[in-house]
Amino acid sequence: MLGNILVNALMNAGVYAMLAVGFSLMFGVARIINLAHTAFYMVAGYCIFYLVSTAGLPLPLAILISIVAVVVLAVVVYRLLIDPMREHETTVLILTIALALVLQEAMLLWFGGYFRSVPAATAGYATILGVRVSFQYLLTLGVLAGALVAVWLVLMKTKLGLAIRATAQDREIAEVMGMDESRTATLTVAIASALAGLAGAIVAPLYILEPRMWLNPLTIVLAIAVLGGLGSLKGSLFGAAIIALAESLVVFLVPQGAFLKGAFSLGIMILVLLIRPEGLFGVAFEEER
Amino acid sequence: MPEAPETLGAHEALLEVKGLSVRYDTAVLLNDVTLRVDAGETVGLVGPNGAGKTTLLRTVAGLVHWEREKKRGTRAGNIVIEGQVVFGGQRIDRLPPHGIARLGLVLVPERRRPFRELSVLDNLRAGAYLVRDPKEVTRALETVYGLFPILRERGGQLSGTLSGGEQQMLAIGRALMTRPRLLCIDEPSTGLSPRVRREVLAKIKDIGRTGITILLVEQDVSLAFALTTRNYILSHSRVVAEGTSEELMADERLRQRYLGVAGTA
Repeated sequence: MLGNILVNALMNAGVYAMLAVGFSLMFGVARIINLAHTAFYMVAGYCIFYLVSTAGLPLPLAILISIVAVVVLAVVVYRLLIDPMREHETTVLILTIALALVLQEAMLLWFGGYFRSVPAATAGYATILGVRVSFQYLLTLGVLAGALVAVWLVLMKTKLGLAIRATAQDREIAEVMGMDESRTATLTVAIASALAGLAGAIVAPLYILEPRMWLNPLTIVLAIAVLGGLGSLKGSLFGAAIIALAESLVVFLVPQGAFLKGAFSLGIMILVLLIRPEGLFGVAFEEER
Repeated sequence: MPEAPETLGAHEALLEVKGLSVRYDTAVLLNDVTLRVDAGETVGLVGPNGAGKTTLLRTVAGLVHWEREKKRGTRAGNIVIEGQVVFGGQRIDRLPPHGIARLGLVLVPERRRPFRELSVLDNLRAGAYLVRDPKEVTRALETVYGLFPILRERGGQLSGTLSGGEQQMLAIGRALMTRPRLLCIDEPSTGLSPRVRREVLAKIKDIGRTGITILLVEQDVSLAFALTTRNYILSHSRVVAEGTSEELMADERLRQRYLGVAGTA
């Protein structure tokens, strides 16, 4: 039982972390709350479905195309619609939720309301700690972990990463030091969307595709963001782990636990907002002090 | 390296502010301000609190225009900027701050504003963002360490945990990493003990000696006047006087009205 819980939690933690880190980056750097973030994750899933099942493309190529498609979509939408509105925070919230709904309806139109699935890349199982885990599962986990490490390397070891970290803290002074804040924000949106797209494409064989699949991850990402502290990457990782584990415990140990999942993460969000609104590692923007 | 036109000779205006007025809604922050800073000079900008000194530096660095562009259409967006800012012969009052930094004008802001969650070294590297050549970055780093050895010692430390004086040195060092032609320093002595103040301002004097032009805003007038060749006094958003340190200190009326309980340190 414990093994099942851990296995389930680990995969969820990986997906949630991918989504939450991107979400956090966009808030911390571009200063936007992108409620369409998980919708991009969904679009990538459908992309993979279409490219592999219908168009018959090889999986690696399909993954690449899906990620690129999502990044292009996200960056274009960001530059055209969101960037001009960045100072109107409420407008951005409305815009992004509207975008998510548009994408939902588009998926509904193109693929129908049926539940879709994507075939796995590999077959076969391994047995770890008494639990049967598919090779697909291990492969996916490996890719997710690799992606998160890659993000960490970019942030810590590259000039762009330095610009991102500096802009996240004080965008005025980052500008004064010669960093183009608008460009940094756009690149951050690209990175965040790439993470969401990769998560969607990679994880598609393990989950079900349907037009409203973005909703649950969104509430979970918001809960993680609140728990970890909006804008904190460390917080996103910790928050993802905590919520994934707690969720798994609820699903496996509480009767009818699976139905409580959504309420659970919302409950955590409310609790954190009541007790410690800044979350575990909440940040403050220097220019607003 | 910042892209800069050929070096100006001494006594040629590096920075010219012409008839600059800034209003936030109905509040007038700057009123028809005109001043100049010649290449190689260290010019002081003094005056009482709220006179507009910080606004002037922020405007010159491009932050006010940037703020206006961002907030266009919002309730806080009623920012008006009139007049011109000319740097190295080029109008910069419509440029974004990163463009102005690229030309060699850098701000050391009020309250220092280090990137708190970044280490001292990362702060300095952030300052070198515009510098392409890694060897050039290393050279700049060595120059800064030569001026402020404490920064080398504290390289891995989170900048938010430094003392006030160390943060001020970091802020100045970070700005120096951009290889500036003009350094605008906003109230470096704030919150520092008298001994640390003198240390910091002595370093600023050293920097001025290397040929970097400096526009220094300071509350501590006596310390400032020891460094500067020429000064402007700003009060209630206007320039009320201009002159050398000796001229201004000699004027009783000016001393009493604007220079506070000045006198020797």
